[in-house]
Amino acid sequence: MKKLNLPKFNLALFFVAVTTTFSPSARAVEIAFEQDSSVPLVYLNVALKAGSVQDPEGKSGLTNFMGEMLLRGTRSKTKEQIDLALDQIGAKLAIETRADAMILRGSVLATQLDPFLALVNEILTQPSFPENEIRKLRSEVTSAILEELGSDPTLATLRFTKLLFRNHPYGKPVMGTIKDVAKLNRAEVLKQYERLVRDKFLLIVGAGDAKTGKIETWAEGLAHARPNTGHEPMEKVTRPEDAPSRRLVIIDKPDRTQTQINGGQIGVRMTDSRFFPLYLGNYAFGGGSFSARLMVEIRVKRGWSYGANSYFRHGIQPRSWQFHLFPAAKDTAPALETTLKMVEELKEKGITPEEFDFSKRSLVNSAGFMYNTSKKRVENKLLERTLDLPDGFMKSFGPELSKVQLADVNAALKDYLRPDRLTIAVLGTASDLKEPLAKAAGIRVEKVEVIPYTQE
Amino acid sequence: MRPFQKSASLLSVLTLSTSLLSGCAGSAVKPTEKTAEGQAIPLVGSSTVHRFTLDNGLRLLVVEDHSSPTFAYQTWYRVGSRDEIPGHTGLAHLFEHMMFKETKNLKDGQFDKILEQAGVEGENAFTSRDYTAYIQELPRTGRGTSDDKLELITRLESDRMVNLVVDEKAFKTETDVVQNERRFRNENSPDGLMFQELFELAFTKHPYHWPVVGYQPDLDSMHASDAVEFYRAYYSPNHATVIIVGDVTPEGALAAVKKHYGDLPGQATPVHPIPAEPEQTSARHKLLKLNMKTEKLLMGYHIPAAVADDIPAISLAQILLTGGKSSRLHRALVDTGIATSVEAYAMDDKDPTLLVIQCNLQEKKKAAQAETIILREISRLAQQAPGEKEMERARNNVNYEFYSGLDSSYEKARFLGTYEALAGNFEKGLEIQKKTLAVTAPEVQAVLKRYFRPTNRSVITGVPK
Repeated sequence: MKKLNLPKFNLALFFVAVTTTFSPSARAVEIAFEQDSSVPLVYLNVALKAGSVQDPEGKSGLTNFMGEMLLRGTRSKTKEQIDLALDQIGAKLAIETRADAMILRGSVLATQLDPFLALVNEILTQPSFPENEIRKLRSEVTSAILEELGSDPTLATLRFTKLLFRNHPYGKPVMGTIKDVAKLNRAEVLKQYERLVRDKFLLIVGAGDAKTGKIETWAEGLAHARPNTGHEPMEKVTRPEDAPSRRLVIIDKPDRTQTQINGGQIGVRMTDSRFFPLYLGNYAFGGGSFSARLMVEIRVKRGWSYGANSYFRHGIQPRSWQFHLFPAAKDTAPALETTLKMVEELKEKGITPEEFDFSKRSLVNSAGFMYNTSKKRVENKLLERTLDLPDGFMKSFGPELSKVQLADVNAALKDYLRPDRLTIAVLGTASDLKEPLAKAAGIRVEKVEVIPYTQE
Repeated sequence: MRPFQKSASLLSVLTLSTSLLSGCAGSAVKPTEKTAEGQAIPLVGSSTVHRFTLDNGLRLLVVEDHSSPTFAYQTWYRVGSRDEIPGHTGLAHLFEHMMFKETKNLKDGQFDKILEQAGVEGENAFTSRDYTAYIQELPRTGRGTSDDKLELITRLESDRMVNLVVDEKAFKTETDVVQNERRFRNENSPDGLMFQELFELAFTKHPYHWPVVGYQPDLDSMHASDAVEFYRAYYSPNHATVIIVGDVTPEGALAAVKKHYGDLPGQATPVHPIPAEPEQTSARHKLLKLNMKTEKLLMGYHIPAAVADDIPAISLAQILLTGGKSSRLHRALVDTGIATSVEAYAMDDKDPTLLVIQCNLQEKKKAAQAETIILREISRLAQQAPGEKEMERARNNVNYEFYSGLDSSYEKARFLGTYEALAGNFEKGLEIQKKTLAVTAPEVQAVLKRYFRPTNRSVITGVPK
């Protein structure tokens, strides 16, 4: 494969295809459904505008756990019966938990929509949270967390995220820690359900071969069954802050012939006035293009890493801007040193007019791919609603990027980047790396933290 | 495509492409209309595939879909790691990387840059054991002007089909990149390493023995001249299929392709005898100690090629075993607290290959126990026929996967490209779909007895160091 597939926003500009609009509803629930009969399937997402940041202190993983438990029993059905019912009608139902949202993702053969809707309603309004399933899920989640220790890229990202956000909720792992998950019990799961699964937090977004009216009627019924009753309000997430100075942490794992380097700082909100200039500046620096600086310097010229990129992660509050590369162990120190110099240079000198023209043209011309399928439009709606973005925001990238000027980009980069406050996490074998990495990062060797890869 | 990324490639279409198709593709595998220069064949819903073959042997498939002003453009070459020879492992994949370099008409980096400026989406490539594909989507802008993106991509792809310049320095730098990809996907990844070991264990003669990404010493020892030789042998119009799905017309696509590829010469197909894999007569096991905290099990059963007659029944057997949470192995392993996940997938290969069963164990649980349970459940299914409700569930599952594997231009192109590469015609994929819908319980049992014999399995057990 030529390159890894990276997350990327490509937004619509020229597209006049069907758009997904939210319907007014008598209740608080928000509904958006787009009819699309290109294949006989229906995709339906029930999102809660509350994610892992709502996990109480010492109970990381609770929101995700509650979501998974929804699929494990209702007043009239056991987990086995739910699984059977779903498979019988050719349907999929799974939980996806993000920092700012939990999404019940469903899809079904169009001919089986009625029994599917009835089942999803039952799952959301009549969960039983059986004790035996809580025990089983606890064991599954614990094992899944342990399994992540075997995947270097996943582990490196998790540890970097925790280090970057320190004690902020964005630093919590969505699945939780082994220690916290071991303590989760039925009363807490039930309490989280009663708190979060309420009509005012619900969002129904879908597309497919079904009548919009049918989905709206069903959603109204769902909302009716879960009215807001003044339960404890959701906690407002505070704005995270960067560390006061540059930090380098080595996540020590034996026998690595390759390292995982993640570095970065706290990001910006998508509604920040600097966002579009920064988005364009990042594209020129490491945004997935083969012509981006990082890719050219790290991969094309030197062959140091198969992937070398940078990107923003987004939330209701600023999340992160980070770079990622995975060189051979022997090339780790020079690759990090080169990357850090490039970040410093990006702040000081910005991007060139040629890079600006190229990036702007590329981003504006590819903008349409954000909206070229109904599934993508559904994902955009989910983002807009769960991240408190204005309606149509995801569609505005093209026009907004068209307005950006080179001076805007370079001013934003100069203002935003904090090379002196970067958090850098390198997963590798520490004994081979500590001194050269300290030198590469310009940090005294005794300041370099080394943590075992098993430390949560 | 990397081998352990099961969810992509054929898996989602071929092995799951069975059952309950109700009408669309299932009954529509015959050409329904002859056009001036090609055939029109229904695919799914209102989608029709227009097939053309140029005089130089280049195949062209076009699906017209004006639902958005974009189109997918994929070029599939019928060459993969099975065409390599010992000592040159990884060359097909390494060469795939070289295809983005300099040509006689473009400087190094220009191919990417031109497409990126044009607004390309998902520009990438992947190499399998049997084929290599170059993929991208473009906005359908500039129609009828010098900025026409269909015109642009046909020009660029046809250029690199015959005009690539392979320079030693660039080749060596790209070898370093591929070495890193190998470290990433296999050497430092328990799943990747186990997958590599499984094929090495199961195949003793056939080229499926070695990993697509190749071995480190082989990669280090190759030169640009090897790449040039490979290029001349396998990259020509008569070894390729171009697939265009989206906001185009068959006539317009044909005209653009004819204009840019029409004069390219075909080349003789290299004669490369591929040794058949001898029948496996006893179970093979290998234990790997890896840096991880839970055990993993990877089993492979020899099965026939992806388009063989027994594949529909094997596909259904696979679904009965691991398709959905109510499937037999999920019930026996996950619901009982032994595993966190279990899945089975038939590899999408041109030659006889493997059906792989992959199981991740829960904390403190043993892979050996999971293996015993898997053998027990397979034996049980072979002895006791599944009931009609269970068969219906399997067919629904498969039907769902078939449709969800065709719900974008990219996916449609991929389905077409895969079967063109494996069977020589995409209709074979639809035929398999149709046949799978008709598989009976005794047929499932027959293939279980034929292929899922304990002696026909190879097993890799991964345990924490």
